[in-house]
Amino acid sequence: MSKSSGKVKAGQLWSKNKDELTKQLAELKTELSQLRIQKIVSSGTKLTKIHDIRKSIARVLTVINAKQRAQLRLFYKNKKYLPLDLRAKQTRAIRRRLSPEDASRVLEKTKKRQTHFPQRKFAVKPVIFCCCFLPLQLQQSFGLLPGVSAFRLQTGERQHHHPSPQATMSADPLQTLASVGKGKSTRGVLRVIILALIAGAAIASRLFSVILDPWFNFRATKYLVANGFYNFWDWFDDRTWHPLGRVTGGTLYPGLMVTSGVIYHALRALRIPVDIRNICVLLAPAFSGLTAIAAYLLTNEMTPSSSAGLLAALFMGIAPGYISRSVAGSYDNEAIAIFLLVFTFYLWIKALKQGSMLWGALCALSYGYMVASWGGYAFITCLLPLHAFVLICMGRYSTRLYVAYTTWYALGTLASMQIPFVGFLPVKTSEHMPALGIFGFLQLLAFLDYVRSAIPSRQFQTFLWVFAGATFGIGLLGLVIATSAGFIAPWSGRFYSLWDTGYAKIHIPIIASVSEHQPTAWPAFFFDLNMLIWLFPVGVYLCFQELADEHVFIVVYALFGSYFAGVMVRLMLTLTPVVCIAAAIAVSTLLDTYLSTKSPKPEETLATEGSEGKKAAKSSLKSTSKPVVGVYGLWEKSMMVGALGVYLLLFVLHCTWVTSNAYSSPSVVLASRLPDGSQHIIDDYREAYQWLRQNTREDAKIMSWWDYGYQIGGMADRPTLVDNNTWNNTHIATVGKAMSSSEEVSYPIMRQHEVDYVLVVFGGLLGYSGDDINKFLWMVRIAEGIWPDEVNERSFFTSRGEYRVDGEASETMKNSLMYKMSYYNYNNLFPPGQAVDRMRQARLPEVGPSLSTLEEAFTSENWIIRIYKVKDLDNLGRDHMSAAAFDRGHKKKKATKKKGPRALRVE
Amino acid sequence: MRVLSVFSLVLGGLSLAAAAKSKKSSEERFQLYHGKALSSSPVKLGDSSYRELTATPRDYAAAVLLTAMDSRYGCQLCREFQPEWELLARSWTGGDRKGESRVVFGTLDFNDGRDVFMSLGLQTAPVLFFFPPTVGPHAAASSEPLRYDFTGGAQAAEVVHHWISRHLPDVPHPPIKRPINWMRWISTFVILSGGLTASYVAWPYVLPIIQSRTVWAAVTLISILLFTSGHMFNQIRNVPYVAGDGRGGIAYFAPGFQNQYGLETQIVAALYGILALSSISLAVKVPRMSDPRYQGIAFFVWFGIMFVVYSLLLSIFRGKNPGYNFSLPPFM
Repeated sequence: MSKSSGKVKAGQLWSKNKDELTKQLAELKTELSQLRIQKIVSSGTKLTKIHDIRKSIARVLTVINAKQRAQLRLFYKNKKYLPLDLRAKQTRAIRRRLSPEDASRVLEKTKKRQTHFPQRKFAVKPVIFCCCFLPLQLQQSFGLLPGVSAFRLQTGERQHHHPSPQATMSADPLQTLASVGKGKSTRGVLRVIILALIAGAAIASRLFSVILDPWFNFRATKYLVANGFYNFWDWFDDRTWHPLGRVTGGTLYPGLMVTSGVIYHALRALRIPVDIRNICVLLAPAFSGLTAIAAYLLTNEMTPSSSAGLLAALFMGIAPGYISRSVAGSYDNEAIAIFLLVFTFYLWIKALKQGSMLWGALCALSYGYMVASWGGYAFITCLLPLHAFVLICMGRYSTRLYVAYTTWYALGTLASMQIPFVGFLPVKTSEHMPALGIFGFLQLLAFLDYVRSAIPSRQFQTFLWVFAGATFGIGLLGLVIATSAGFIAPWSGRFYSLWDTGYAKIHIPIIASVSEHQPTAWPAFFFDLNMLIWLFPVGVYLCFQELADEHVFIVVYALFGSYFAGVMVRLMLTLTPVVCIAAAIAVSTLLDTYLSTKSPKPEETLATEGSEGKKAAKSSLKSTSKPVVGVYGLWEKSMMVGALGVYLLLFVLHCTWVTSNAYSSPSVVLASRLPDGSQHIIDDYREAYQWLRQNTREDAKIMSWWDYGYQIGGMADRPTLVDNNTWNNTHIATVGKAMSSSEEVSYPIMRQHEVDYVLVVFGGLLGYSGDDINKFLWMVRIAEGIWPDEVNERSFFTSRGEYRVDGEASETMKNSLMYKMSYYNYNNLFPPGQAVDRMRQARLPEVGPSLSTLEEAFTSENWIIRIYKVKDLDNLGRDHMSAAAFDRGHKKKKATKKKGPRALRVE
Repeated sequence: MRVLSVFSLVLGGLSLAAAAKSKKSSEERFQLYHGKALSSSPVKLGDSSYRELTATPRDYAAAVLLTAMDSRYGCQLCREFQPEWELLARSWTGGDRKGESRVVFGTLDFNDGRDVFMSLGLQTAPVLFFFPPTVGPHAAASSEPLRYDFTGGAQAAEVVHHWISRHLPDVPHPPIKRPINWMRWISTFVILSGGLTASYVAWPYVLPIIQSRTVWAAVTLISILLFTSGHMFNQIRNVPYVAGDGRGGIAYFAPGFQNQYGLETQIVAALYGILALSSISLAVKVPRMSDPRYQGIAFFVWFGIMFVVYSLLLSIFRGKNPGYNFSLPPFM
């Protein structure tokens, strides 16, 4: 008894052997039973000892057990199987997992498939190769070389100022290089080489990065190549706009895909094996090279100085305003459309100058191609009639104009009506009416012209002019009436928003929501055009000097182009060609003036001044009333040329900088700078799309905002509800409503549309501004446009009218699906109460939102993309809210039950 | 939450009022106020009549505008919306003289209904409440009044008409009849005929201006400069002309690449204009000067201006885009 009075220490037990331990156990057990008896018999004093003894027994048992297991472990060491209770416990899932070698086992079939059809990478290897080997310097040297040569070339070119250039040439120190070839042919060859170099520079400067972007166009091209033209024409795409689908062949501009397809088949026919993907990637740079050449041709029609053409080609080749839409991999309609725009204008000027039906027909052909390629063809449709109209108002009606315009209009309209997407629009909608009106007006004028030539009476002429005016007025009135009565569709929304700038904001939120449809602030102009922007007015002014028919075109184009570019960022693209041409005219005039080796003699000019002063034309500009004398000093000449050289160099550097910094970062891969200046690539988009591709069913429907539709369709290859082709506003509003309503409302919508996954973009962790919370108000607005009773923009603001996401956000905001999906579980990243949205600089409430109808499926590395799975219906037929509440409340209820006093059951 | 509390206040007030004014039935009240509306719609309400009109139960609908027209309160929105509201009420009541749609339009000015404003806890005016019927065939599910938001500024009568119609299905919606604005037609006619006469008289003097190439060139260049310096952005976004820099001074240039002030665009347009003008002078005017000395002076003046202004422009642009690192002397 006395022996076992003290507590047993586990540490002392380890040294004992098995028998001693069993003995001690038996002793302790007897002592315990004695104490139990004592407890019943008498109120003994040692009752507390029962506890100690029990603990001691346990200790002894533990030691015995541990020793036994240690022995067993020794025994089973190196045996094949281990008893279950000696194995590591871990979790049930881990215990049942396949062993690494089993897991990595691959079927022979799969192995073959992986080697032969590996997962595609999103960039083209040869082009990346080019990127590495054509860095900045090469592009610069390319860009600058033609400019310098252009200066040297042009001394001999201005025939009208220097009737005998050959005589002055020998005295020119700068000319020594170019004078190697005095003949015309050598100069022609040199010009071709320079043009080729410029085109090369234009292509090279677009190869900084390669990511194929509108994926939809690429998909369509693949379909075209795989299934042929007629199948493409009838293509019904059921993997977008679920469950509606999209009649793709009839709702797109097929020019781009057909161009790539034709190139593909042509190369195949030449036995050049090429992947359609490479053609798509390189189409835009190749066409920008062609654009440079078209700009050269167009400028040559404007001015006799051929250096202007070369400069225009150079500017066009490297102006960031155009590069922005034509970098390698930017596979969008604009890639070919700008070339067609410039080329159509060139053909139009050519037709107008020569009054030639052939050129007019070519112009119509090019116009038809343009209509097939880009919705922006309406720009041409309005600009050419306007040009004709201005010419008529200036009293410059001529048979040349008549032939050129009527040929273009008749053939061009017929050509444009061949495109199913355009169809009968050219005779039904208002934006095509000016062209039709001018067509009719020209017929009248031609008739009157004929009558006038037949009847030489002055009074009759006046009467006829009045008649013409009245007809025009009546025609206009008829147009207005027809429009208001509904025979002619009114101006389409997108077009109308150009004129009445407030219109889109009020009536068409979906147009206003696109960032490309925002107005342009001045830094954007300077960013995209640099010094061209202030040389532009100079060129336009110089056009006023001569003001032939083609110069009127430049003036009209400049005015309307700059207006549209000011209203919409995207239309900077249509302004860029005219800016390049005008600036090239300005620079070449400056160079022509200051690079001339001929210095005037003061005495001669003073003598001739008196006689020539009177000759100046009455209708020309005031500043050009005096004759050109020339520049006297060599200092002035060298300074001016030097300054222009510096400006051109700066321009090339600027373009390179802008291109490499701003326009070469593809939208799906974000590049950021770390504090130490190194580049950090954020690749969340591709990570998420890859996840979708590998972890979801082939036909799993993904709901996201429409901005990501094409990317999901292309990169993840999953059906989407809405995408960048925003043809159905109601469907987009449905998605907007699902995103902006509470879960109770959204869940039925998602079930009805068979949504499997919901994808949101969240920039709160990284401070990424292009995320869905920032776009959220547009979703609300678009949804409100269709369901004004159910979605209300006002309720997403706080009572003080602020758009907030922190604790003070409005209840509607906090309950909206978008908010919940964005911030779900976000708190867990931070210490309690310190969750911060870095984008909006807002401290989030301590308790994050809870989701009951969705579950988190995937969140990318930087939390930019979050994907949620829509839960299936509950197994027990409950709704998800109560199921979730039950799950959450389960433990709590049990606890209360335990604690509460037991009630006696009476019945 | 605040809105809810307002509603509960309204309801509380309504039930109290109903208890106090239970003498008149719903039908009597409607006849009373509809009769008033026939003579002048919207009905001008006071504290007590407001409570009477909006008391429950009611088998008619009431649309009440709570406004503050007194110039002391300086409510611009109230004054802008008032004519539209009166037009709506008049054409609705006029188009529905028998009261088939069973709507009463009323206006409660702050001066007449201070207590109502207080009891509703209203801080702002105007507020448009729509009280749907609580009994009868068109009774709404909840008797809470609907509040119209004036977030988008003063609305046209048609918009409010649409809103009211939406909450009143199955009853006639008399359309809005805008009175013919005789004044406007007459003034347009007078101005037009005056303009025609003036142009006829002044034609010989105007013609040379219209045909002058210099005038057209100037107009074209100025509009190009306006458009390329972001004037349309100002128009669309209603940007401020200048803003304070937070230290009591004036900030001429907005921070950030996507922002600009009105004055800023004018400065930029002026810089572009000066640059263009100097280039034009250098290209066109200077080589036409016959005196070598004057030519030299003119060249250096224009050349200097061009060089300095371009450098200034680059430095301004650097201010807008911190990552930009090209510059020219003297503004390095």
